[in-house]
Amino acid sequence: MIEVSGLTKEYKIALRKPGLTGAIQALFKREHQIKQAVQDVSFSIRKGEMVGYLGANGAGKSTTIKMLSGILTPTSGKVEVNGIVPYQNREQNAKGIGAVFGQRTQLFWDIPVRESYDLLRHIYEVPEDDYRESLALFTEVLDLGPLLSIPVRQLSLGQKMRCELAAAFLHRPAVVYLDEPTIGLDVAVKQKIRTFIKEMNKREETTVILTTHDMGDIEELCKRIIIIDEGKVLYDGDLQQIKERFGQKRVVHFELENKAGFAVPASLRDRVEIVPKADGEAEASNTVSLSFSSRDLSAADVIQAVLSVHSVRDLTIADPKIETIVKEIYERGV
Amino acid sequence: MIRYSQLYWQFFKKHLKVMMEYRLDFFIGVMSVVLIQFTSIFFVKVVFDQIEDLNGWGFYEVLFIYGVATMGRSIHHIFFDNLWTIGWQYIRPGNFDRLLIRPINPLFHLIADRVQQDGFGQLVIGGLLMAAAMPHLGVEWGPVNLLILLVLIVSSGAIFVAVNLFFATLSFWIVDSLPITFAAFNLSDFARYPLNIYHKGIRWLLTWLIPYGFTAFYPAAAFIEHSGYRELGMITPLIAVISCWLAYRFWKVGLRAFNSTGS
Repeated sequence: MIEVSGLTKEYKIALRKPGLTGAIQALFKREHQIKQAVQDVSFSIRKGEMVGYLGANGAGKSTTIKMLSGILTPTSGKVEVNGIVPYQNREQNAKGIGAVFGQRTQLFWDIPVRESYDLLRHIYEVPEDDYRESLALFTEVLDLGPLLSIPVRQLSLGQKMRCELAAAFLHRPAVVYLDEPTIGLDVAVKQKIRTFIKEMNKREETTVILTTHDMGDIEELCKRIIIIDEGKVLYDGDLQQIKERFGQKRVVHFELENKAGFAVPASLRDRVEIVPKADGEAEASNTVSLSFSSRDLSAADVIQAVLSVHSVRDLTIADPKIETIVKEIYERGV
Repeated sequence: MIRYSQLYWQFFKKHLKVMMEYRLDFFIGVMSVVLIQFTSIFFVKVVFDQIEDLNGWGFYEVLFIYGVATMGRSIHHIFFDNLWTIGWQYIRPGNFDRLLIRPINPLFHLIADRVQQDGFGQLVIGGLLMAAAMPHLGVEWGPVNLLILLVLIVSSGAIFVAVNLFFATLSFWIVDSLPITFAAFNLSDFARYPLNIYHKGIRWLLTWLIPYGFTAFYPAAAFIEHSGYRELGMITPLIAVISCWLAYRFWKVGLRAFNSTGS
């Protein structure tokens, strides 16, 4: 269904020196730097597959999806979707794909949702009967009934996302690209959206490529994942396998009375790691995060050991995040 | 072509519904444009109260030029207004991607995305001006002349669209070309007066470089016996076709550049 080989995308970025002098210099002479957003990416996806396309922010996920959907032309390499080269035959390709791009709406801002769908029906030339059937199904699964008469701009994020999703599937595309479809949504809406995607995949054998930062999305929808980092494919294969290998990674966050003098308790030494602070997090805050593998330690062991040495005000246990897994793979290899 | 006209009608119906839903908005928008236009016409009137004629051009002749300009503008204003917004509404926030994943021409989609209700105010004013000026020109307004007038007005609208499309296309490289587009558009104010009152350089610029002269002065002059520009006025449709073709070619180049850089 989707064949990608040696796909590469380079951006030219103008380098600027800081300050006003830099800005003025840039007017006359600009230095450029080539940034490789996507480097030599190859994969092949069968009809009906649902694939998680994962990576940290800026890893090249969106750039890849834009090349697959015909918005961007690759610097080199080849893409074929359903036998069509998307960036050469953009309109032809567009007939067979659907897309949800994060929080950017695909709908028409000022008019009621139903009217938006009606316009899309004309744009995609969907036969009247198919359209009515799809709309009835979507209304049921995504619970759109009360939303159809409201203009898009008056919808909440969760409501809008449900409407977006229906819009992406309205013309029964063979391939759907979902770029962070559950970002910022509550659990109930997430669940509805996942159910809907699964249902469409089952009924229509829709091929789905999904990017997300939500492990729940992936676990429920995808058997296969592709992980990219800095534009390169790090892993392409079974989700189960990767989870067995890296998924045992747990993190416990401690909020201490006093961080000064914190040391990893002797009993845990070499078995836990202190997680470095994320950018922007105050260095002075009294929190410490410890990561460990649930294969050699239980969360209870770690908590107990820390509690016996330090006075702890609060603690939370975090699920393994895709970012942590990606980082693991990046540092240690698959 | 038939498909696109049908599709445009679908878009247009939606816009019409929105307009009817916000009737007060519609009314205010139309009225504000009418007011703005009236002030500039009032200015012309004041000038002509002081002088007999402007370089050989009488009051009703200048009014006629004004009328043609306003009609041409209204076509552009009502149907093609979205060209203004391509930079800040589409390219900068990334909404242009939405147009590119649709199985239709992105320029068509961009244009169909908006119908500017305020433009109807221009249309009304333009109509009134024409009605006021036409009986005083000494022209027999038979069906042939009316048809020619209609063709020339549509051509005038097309030239406005072409010039705006050209400058709006720059947005593909510099993200938002609105200031440049705006500056260029303001040149069209010159073309609402007889061009032969200006310096040769300006006249040449407005005739052959940015052909705003063909949006009002030349097509109006086609009907005025002593203008000396009757022939030039009649090539307005040709100029319109060439301008649109050039602007569309340029748009294609811009689109390709956008395609391979992205944002």
